[in-house]
Amino acid sequence: MNAIIQEPWAMGLGRLRPDVIRTKEDLGGVRHVAGIAEKMASNQKQIAISEFFEKNKHFLGFDSLPRSIITAVKESVDNSLDACEEARILPDIKVQITKADLKKDILELTTEDNGPGIPQKSIEKVFGQLLFGSRFHAIRQSRGQQGIGITGVVMYSQLTTGKPTHVLSKIASEPTAVSVKIGLDTRKNKAVKSEQTRIIWENDDLTMKEHGVRVTTKMKGKYQRGRQSVFQYLRMTSIVNPHAEITFVDPDGEIYHWPRVTEKLPRKVDAIKPHPHGIELGQLQRMCRETSDSRLSVFLRQNFSGVSMRAAKELCEAAELDVSTKPKSMKPDDIRAMLEAFQGERDVGGKVVKLLSPPTNCLSPIEEMLIKKGLSKTIDSKFISTMTRAPTVSHGNPFQVEVGLIFGDGMAADKPVEVLRFANRVPLMYQQGGCLLTKSIESVDWRQYGLDQAGGRGVPKGPAAILVHLASTNVQFTSEAKEALSDNEVVFEETRKAMLEMGRGLRKHLEKKKKMAKTREKFELINDILPAIAEKSAAILERPVPDLAGSITKIMSAVICNETTTWNKETKQTDVSITLFNYTSRARSYSILVNWPERSDGEMVGNERGGRKEAMGIWGWKVETLEPGEKAHIQYSLSNLEKGDWTETDVFFRGSQDVIGASKLDEKMLEEIRRQEQILVEADKEMPADKEEAQPTFDTGVVEGDTGQTTLFGGDV
Amino acid sequence: MMARVNDPELTKQRLHLVVEEMYDRIVKGEPPTMTLPVRTKNNIGFDKKLGVYKYGKKRSTRDATSLGSAKNLLRALHVVEFIEEMIEAGKSSTLREMYYISEAWGLGKFGSQNESNNLAEDLEVVTSCLREDFKLRPEEDGARMIGNVTLMELNRKGQWMTINARDDVGDSGYGLPYNVEIEKIQLKEHDVKFLMAIETGGMFDRLVENGFDEEYNCGLIHLKGQPARSTRRIMKRMNEEWDVPVVVFLDGDPWSFRIFASIAYGAIKTAHISEYLATPSASYLGITSDDILAYDLPSDELSKKDIEALNAELTDPRFADGWWQDQINMMLEIGQKAEQQSLAKYGLDFVTDTYLPEKLEEMGLA
Repeated sequence: MNAIIQEPWAMGLGRLRPDVIRTKEDLGGVRHVAGIAEKMASNQKQIAISEFFEKNKHFLGFDSLPRSIITAVKESVDNSLDACEEARILPDIKVQITKADLKKDILELTTEDNGPGIPQKSIEKVFGQLLFGSRFHAIRQSRGQQGIGITGVVMYSQLTTGKPTHVLSKIASEPTAVSVKIGLDTRKNKAVKSEQTRIIWENDDLTMKEHGVRVTTKMKGKYQRGRQSVFQYLRMTSIVNPHAEITFVDPDGEIYHWPRVTEKLPRKVDAIKPHPHGIELGQLQRMCRETSDSRLSVFLRQNFSGVSMRAAKELCEAAELDVSTKPKSMKPDDIRAMLEAFQGERDVGGKVVKLLSPPTNCLSPIEEMLIKKGLSKTIDSKFISTMTRAPTVSHGNPFQVEVGLIFGDGMAADKPVEVLRFANRVPLMYQQGGCLLTKSIESVDWRQYGLDQAGGRGVPKGPAAILVHLASTNVQFTSEAKEALSDNEVVFEETRKAMLEMGRGLRKHLEKKKKMAKTREKFELINDILPAIAEKSAAILERPVPDLAGSITKIMSAVICNETTTWNKETKQTDVSITLFNYTSRARSYSILVNWPERSDGEMVGNERGGRKEAMGIWGWKVETLEPGEKAHIQYSLSNLEKGDWTETDVFFRGSQDVIGASKLDEKMLEEIRRQEQILVEADKEMPADKEEAQPTFDTGVVEGDTGQTTLFGGDV
Repeated sequence: MMARVNDPELTKQRLHLVVEEMYDRIVKGEPPTMTLPVRTKNNIGFDKKLGVYKYGKKRSTRDATSLGSAKNLLRALHVVEFIEEMIEAGKSSTLREMYYISEAWGLGKFGSQNESNNLAEDLEVVTSCLREDFKLRPEEDGARMIGNVTLMELNRKGQWMTINARDDVGDSGYGLPYNVEIEKIQLKEHDVKFLMAIETGGMFDRLVENGFDEEYNCGLIHLKGQPARSTRRIMKRMNEEWDVPVVVFLDGDPWSFRIFASIAYGAIKTAHISEYLATPSASYLGITSDDILAYDLPSDELSKKDIEALNAELTDPRFADGWWQDQINMMLEIGQKAEQQSLAKYGLDFVTDTYLPEKLEEMGLA
């Protein structure tokens, strides 16, 4: 409930009617409309609010019957998630849709959460006022809103069915819940309460509900299935909110359940001040007008991020304004000059004023391990590659790109991959083609990474889904509908880079899979087929069964490594088993190395062969003199991990003869890992508080360097 | 010359040689192998003595170093064992039955019937036996024939029936059995000037309806696409035993050219028994590439596959002579192909009243 508010009238747009606003491109958010609606009401203009709603329903999210129900669910669920996050509660959300009247497309929607609840006195405001609870200067990553919030739902419900919305709310400090019906006085833009009582709210199991909100509303709508549906919205929401437990009952009574897969709440994000690079004229005007600072230099330093005292003085100089100018008394031309200095159009002695980047701790990425978990709970598949890029800045706005790719048998191989787009954890479901995130996927030649793609362009085909999440303090959309991100070169490049890195992960996986399949075939050959040939030929010829050892060595003529990584249900550990077979005619010796999730607090147990740590996340064993026809076993388990955290182990070798099923160790990369580790150790000492951010993950044997992904395989695999 | 071995002991001996090759290799500490002639167009050559195309000297070794070929060797062993069992029990089975029986062979079971058919052919090639020696029957049904020819067929009751393929049959003609060898079919007498092999059922029925066989005193045989062994064998027998010319009337496309080659020169897949199936004197009546232009026939554009097939034919030794090279090149040039039934453009009787008489006259048969 804290999107950035930029008031149109403050930008000199004055007496606008709602239908005019649409033509102004850079409004960026529907909130303006809400602001105007309030303004209208306060100006006592006699435009019926229903007319306003009717005129703007396309970007309020109520332009079609199928979309209306999605919007209503979205507003409710977003509110619940936000409230839980704010109150640091692990969300438990239930959504139910029933058909209230088959003939008239009337649906009844019930959503219930376990959030902090809404105090009785605030209920009217939350559900019945167009503008509520927003701050001006706060810039932070927020879910934002599709339309005008839950009030829009109440309004739509009333306009289409004439019925009020029922709200049940309980806060922890009160013994009973408040039950109230909220309608709207559409002429006065005021909530109308009715039937307010206090009741005892019991859960289904007759225990007392501690806190939470339940909203029940009837509305015109159409329940559909498919890519644009309530189901898809909730599924996507659950992917990027792995900390939430979501249950959905559809109109047919079918129950869908997306379980919580982590107890970790999203990081609480700090609000930051706007950065001069990301500010617009209207906003600057308003800030000047409203500030109580008396000196321009102080105003600049205290109200903007990235502006040091020196920079503040230089900005004043560049704008040809005195540092002691009173911001409130600045003329429009002065403000414009300052804006030009902000944007580097004015300089000091030929130099653009240097500004610091805004802080990026205002972002809350989902983070790789949780994306992995989120994806794997909704899509059943073997391989997931994820990538959270470091936060960066575009036009003064911090942003961060995260991507995930899930690949495997459960999905259609001949259809375009499913694209799951998110902005600040909110699913984007419409206008896929026009979205920056889609375009960045389309710009990658996926054929080199093992997916089908006609002509190397467009959305690739294959049994995969690609998730892409943009976390930013200022998400730019192509239109008020807020369904597609508008073009931005910096964000595009970041997303593209993330895709490329992830693609390399996919290719590595597919190559490994291919190799493993080949190895499996060879084993089937020598373990099953060859003995059968020997037995059958001996039987037909009525001769003794011949010895196979010689044939086997000739057929394999290689050293073969067989690796399995499996989840052990009983011990709750991940068991890793590596067997090295020498099918050559000479004795061999090797060092065998593996990667393991040391960085994710995995623990290696039951490693009876010993060996030693070679680097962070890399363990090694010596296998001395493996005679022809002999095999060596390495076994250990990983504890302190959950199912699905670790599904593949990379095996490397040092030695002269190639090993099928393992990769030759690149010593330079091992050095690089050790070097990075050293840097991190030192960094950890300096900034224990930022530990989490500073750590690149070693999870997949991958080290993050400046140039993207480097691996133990050596360079770009 | 290849002929029926018709000797169960000799058949078994030859099959054992295949098994011995595998066994001996294992004993020597080598991967087991099966050696057989290369069965592609690169390894067929014209046998002057026989007048047909046969496999050349190139041999390939199938060895058990890959899973696929190892499985194939194991299957071969199962098939050998199965054949021996049938020989001993005096039974026979269809290729399809063998495919289903292989379900019980565990690791040696066939993935598709195509695999089992190919393996049966492999064993024929390696052992110089015929599948009849192996007690294996094809599934494919033989041709239909209409015309004034009289055959004797041994029926299920063991009696010889005399059948005239014009007077004793209905409109669909006489259906040839899969076995057309002397112990099953005897050629008694005929009064035809030539035999005409026809690719499609539609054209066969057209000629029958128009009474073409009686008017031109010929026998009509429906090939049903790529002709079965028995179809090619009966044409060969009639051609040899009665000295009746064979003309072949097909669609005008690259695949028809291949059908003709398999009738006249021998098919690549069955080049080990070409002398037994091919009719070297058979001649191609149409549709030729010239016909498409000369008769201005409604035609279709060549597909990518068609063009690939034509290019492959240009390097196929069976099409090496000048006439075929011209026909193939012309088809590539005009980029069109035509069906037999496109002659209907000029009416239902055009084929029997105009086209065939003109073509037969060119060939000196009308």
